[in-house]
Amino acid sequence: MKVLKKIRKIIGSMPFAIGVLVALAAACALSSLVTQGQTAEWYTQEYGERMGAVILALHADDAYHSWWFLTLTGFLCLSLILCNLIRVKTLIRRSKNEKGNRAGIWGAWVCHLGILLLVSGFALGQMTQEEYTIYGLPGQTKELGETGVRVQIEDFAIEWREDGSAGQYTAKLTAEDAQGKSESGTASVNHPASLLGYEFYQNSAGWAADLTVVKNGTEIQKETLCVGEFTPLADDPEIVILFRDFYPNYDAESGNASPMASTKPDKPGYLYMVFYQGEVRGMNVLETGDEITIDQEYTVTFSDPSNYTLLMVKRDRFTPLALLGAAVTMAGLVMAFYLRKR
Amino acid sequence: MEQAENILFTAAMAGYFLAIILNFVFIGLKKERAAKIAAWAQGAGLVLHTAALVIRGIAAGRVPMTNQYEFATCFAWALCLVSLVFIRKYRFSVLGVFAVPVVFLIMGYAAMQNREVRPLMAALQSNWLVFHVTTAILAYGSFGVSCVLGTIFLIRNRMKENGFLDQHIPASDKLDIIEYRSVCLGLLFLTITIITGAFWAQKCWGSYWSWDPKETWSLVTWIIYALYLHLRIMRGWKGKAAAIFAVVGFICVIFTYLGVNTFLPGLHSYA
Repeated sequence: MKVLKKIRKIIGSMPFAIGVLVALAAACALSSLVTQGQTAEWYTQEYGERMGAVILALHADDAYHSWWFLTLTGFLCLSLILCNLIRVKTLIRRSKNEKGNRAGIWGAWVCHLGILLLVSGFALGQMTQEEYTIYGLPGQTKELGETGVRVQIEDFAIEWREDGSAGQYTAKLTAEDAQGKSESGTASVNHPASLLGYEFYQNSAGWAADLTVVKNGTEIQKETLCVGEFTPLADDPEIVILFRDFYPNYDAESGNASPMASTKPDKPGYLYMVFYQGEVRGMNVLETGDEITIDQEYTVTFSDPSNYTLLMVKRDRFTPLALLGAAVTMAGLVMAFYLRKR
Repeated sequence: MEQAENILFTAAMAGYFLAIILNFVFIGLKKERAAKIAAWAQGAGLVLHTAALVIRGIAAGRVPMTNQYEFATCFAWALCLVSLVFIRKYRFSVLGVFAVPVVFLIMGYAAMQNREVRPLMAALQSNWLVFHVTTAILAYGSFGVSCVLGTIFLIRNRMKENGFLDQHIPASDKLDIIEYRSVCLGLLFLTITIITGAFWAQKCWGSYWSWDPKETWSLVTWIIYALYLHLRIMRGWKGKAAAIFAVVGFICVIFTYLGVNTFLPGLHSYA
């Protein structure tokens, strides 16, 4: 019991809280200097073998989810809980004796409580949230992971401005669960759609194009590929065509290309790669009207560029708790700074 | 419109420059009247500066707070406003001697940025932008004033007795309290900035916290000022220690503002 009391006293003390805050600030600052979430090979290449190994050993490649960062956050929470528990009796006593406005006395206590709620909401959200990414063209239907929910992309439109930049991205969606319950809505940037308990965020957009394969003058294959997708030739599956990238305004003479999704395709360029039995056999940029001839038998063309939508779908039941924590923190600060007798 | 904005911006800089000269006359030649005129020149600069911002806002059809130029000029505006409020509230004309050159420097930095008015990208088309950036500007302005006050405190501490300056700089304990209040104001606004940013990010990106470098450094700045308050209230760190803290805190603010944009690109790369 004595040991427990001593530990409680240490963790609830001001020097401990200050130590944790300093360590957290340092951890955040240093971690921000290291690019997060890359592969092991990337760190070795970018930082050298020794430094790369240190980064990986310290889990600095995913610092904010590392054991040491979570431990520090845990200590911060413990410190806040004990600090508030230790002080509550004193504050009640002071409140009874205080004349006039008593709110100010509770400011720091409320602020600590708010931070606790905020961190708890964030941590619980991180542990339990569901997150999916789906992309597709209008008319396509996508599965939402293993949830049994199917998402129909009814329409996707980009509002283009006069200067060629994109003003807004809007996707019309219908979600249907396994029981046949369906809901429809519109997701645009800053205005997510809420369907069947999931939030649909219009996250990004990319390019797609129609690929046509002709053999001896007869069209044998036509499909729409998004950038990054590949397809084997229906006639000869050992030949694979990858739609590597798309340039809306490609200048063949200079080779300059604008790969931005938010640029109108005035002069499209389609970067493709052809594989045969897994080996690269060709790579180039096609313009409208250009064609690839493979084995003097197949003619491949790209046409009709269009945009696909990329949606992030989330369900985080603890977001309201985190937001409540933020509001309580704010209230605590106002109480502490401006409702306190001086 | 663009020409009118440029003229007003230059006139505002001229007003601030005049205030700097007059403040030096006040300190160097001990002319009290110069300090009063300097405060007026600073006020006139602020009015012209406000007009430049309003005209830019009208021309752009939105609040002028979305790129490096706009944020820098708004930052200078907030620093000027907060310092003028403190000068008037605490009858503390020496504050202008230190604050206006900082305002002028930030204006100079703004002048070097691209001033082209561009339509907003979809992610920035939100009412949250106004709350988020306005509170950030006011937070930075308040922390800027606390840094200036901390610097004045440290200089005063090293200064031999000087009847003229002693008369115009508040006593150390009062200086310390004013600095504390500007930190409180800054921390309150920074908290609102972080919270409104989280609300906005939730709507826009689906995640209210992504450990983006700007978010992370805002948190670091918040922790530093939280440490300032804890050490001050619970451990009695006042006076010199608090003044040093206010200066260090503002270095962190500047890194969050400029350093992150320059060295650590992320989701806030347009800011």
